[in-house]
Amino acid sequence: MTMLNGRRVLLVEDESLVAMLAEDMLTDLGCEVVIAMRLDKALDLARTGTFDAAVLDVNLGDARSYPVADVLFERALPFLFATGYGVQGLEPVYQDVPVLQKPYQQRPMQHLLCRLLACETPPRKRTDPLRSLGCACVAQTSPSAPTFRADTPI
Amino acid sequence: MERITAVPHSRQPLRSSAEAAASLATLRRGNQLFETERRLNAVLNNASVSIFLMDDRQHCIYMNRAAEQLTGFTLTEVLERDCPLHDIVHHTYPDGRPFPLSECAIDRAFPQNNHERGEEVFVHADGHFYPVGFTASPIRDDEANIIGTIIEVRDISEEKAAAERQRLLLNELNHRVKNTLATVQSIAAQTFRGQTDAAARSVFDARMVALSTAHNVLVADNWESASLRSVTERVLAPHLLAEIDPHRFRIAGPDARLHPKVAVTLSMALHELMTNAAKYGALSVPEGHVSITWTLAPLDDGRQRLDLTWEENGGPEVTPPSRKGFGSRLIERQLPMEFDGTAEIDYRRAGLVCRLEIPLIALGWMGQELIAGQASL
Repeated sequence: MTMLNGRRVLLVEDESLVAMLAEDMLTDLGCEVVIAMRLDKALDLARTGTFDAAVLDVNLGDARSYPVADVLFERALPFLFATGYGVQGLEPVYQDVPVLQKPYQQRPMQHLLCRLLACETPPRKRTDPLRSLGCACVAQTSPSAPTFRADTPI
Repeated sequence: MERITAVPHSRQPLRSSAEAAASLATLRRGNQLFETERRLNAVLNNASVSIFLMDDRQHCIYMNRAAEQLTGFTLTEVLERDCPLHDIVHHTYPDGRPFPLSECAIDRAFPQNNHERGEEVFVHADGHFYPVGFTASPIRDDEANIIGTIIEVRDISEEKAAAERQRLLLNELNHRVKNTLATVQSIAAQTFRGQTDAAARSVFDARMVALSTAHNVLVADNWESASLRSVTERVLAPHLLAEIDPHRFRIAGPDARLHPKVAVTLSMALHELMTNAAKYGALSVPEGHVSITWTLAPLDDGRQRLDLTWEENGGPEVTPPSRKGFGSRLIERQLPMEFDGTAEIDYRRAGLVCRLEIPLIALGWMGQELIAGQASL
């Protein structure tokens, strides 16, 4: 049992086989998963769906998932990006969003999602591409922010 | 020849005797000529493309500033040599052999039509070789006789280098993808040695091979698309090889170019159907057969929809599976979501039927149509 149990997670991933893997991992963590594989569907769900968190693959083949991220920023829903390119692969204004390195692995996914859900301020979009807005749980300066170690199970 | 020399290299001042004798109208015409010449020189000497004006002996009688920079020769030097331009800028093959004028494509293509194109390798004044693209057009006299040629020339070193770089990258990509798949297969083999049953391993290996095969089809067309027919044939190939009677398969439908994403997912879906048929369905008994047929229907937005039917007959009586496995999850759930289409598997008693409707993704990259359109002009 983890704090992820029963959480509704929006998974945006455009490759069938990869989506199946990520869905299984989230399901095994106790999440209820809603998949979108196309940008239009993902936008619809992000605007109208009820979620506790979202996992966005950055590269959706012929599109990027940034418009979905913008909707989630607006709704103050916590989310993370999944990409094989790391933070540097993101456009600068999105670089305060936590990044899950692809290929998907269950432990880092669990760790990041827990941290995301525990954090009181969801990730925000930078107004100045060069200035990080930071986040309480990343900087770990706020007394209310829980501290995690990557090597200990949550 | 009059026309050719009408675009002179240097300004000729009007002769004073003529000026004195000229009527006002002639004077005005003279001024207009002078003005026209100045404008033409401004155009020619600011053009980034090299322009050569050739007479009927292939001697260059004019070249603009870009042409001087390209070749490393000044117009004065070229005029002084008094020989075909070929012997000045095109006299040696890149491998060092002499390049006689009689073998020159530009010379032989002494153009009958406007805008005849080609590519050659020129020799710079300092001795280095550089690739060029040329466009040649005839100049005619009042009787339409060809009296010379205008040749436009561009240095295409950068384009050549870019094409070469792309070729290397594609080769590297082909190699990497295949190598990565083979590596994954090896890691799986090492990791699960003795820990999983051989049946599971062989299912995994077959899926890896299907994935790898799907990528082979993409390599054939530089990763831009894959032929629907070869996707289908390659999925069936392992079974076609093992089968004595090829009539157990019927494949019919118009070929289409598939976007790489469609090609890979469809390959995997067909592989799962194939495996299922061999294990439980029509291909598990000698008299069963499979037909794969498809049509292409036009959509309102100009794309096409692939309607594909997989139908098994003559196999053992079908009972719907008690548990949904990887194959049915991929086909019935993921595939429609990935392509905004539909998919259904009907576990008909007489044989499994699978119907897929996949709106085909438009091919190509942004701006490709534009470039292709320009090239065909």
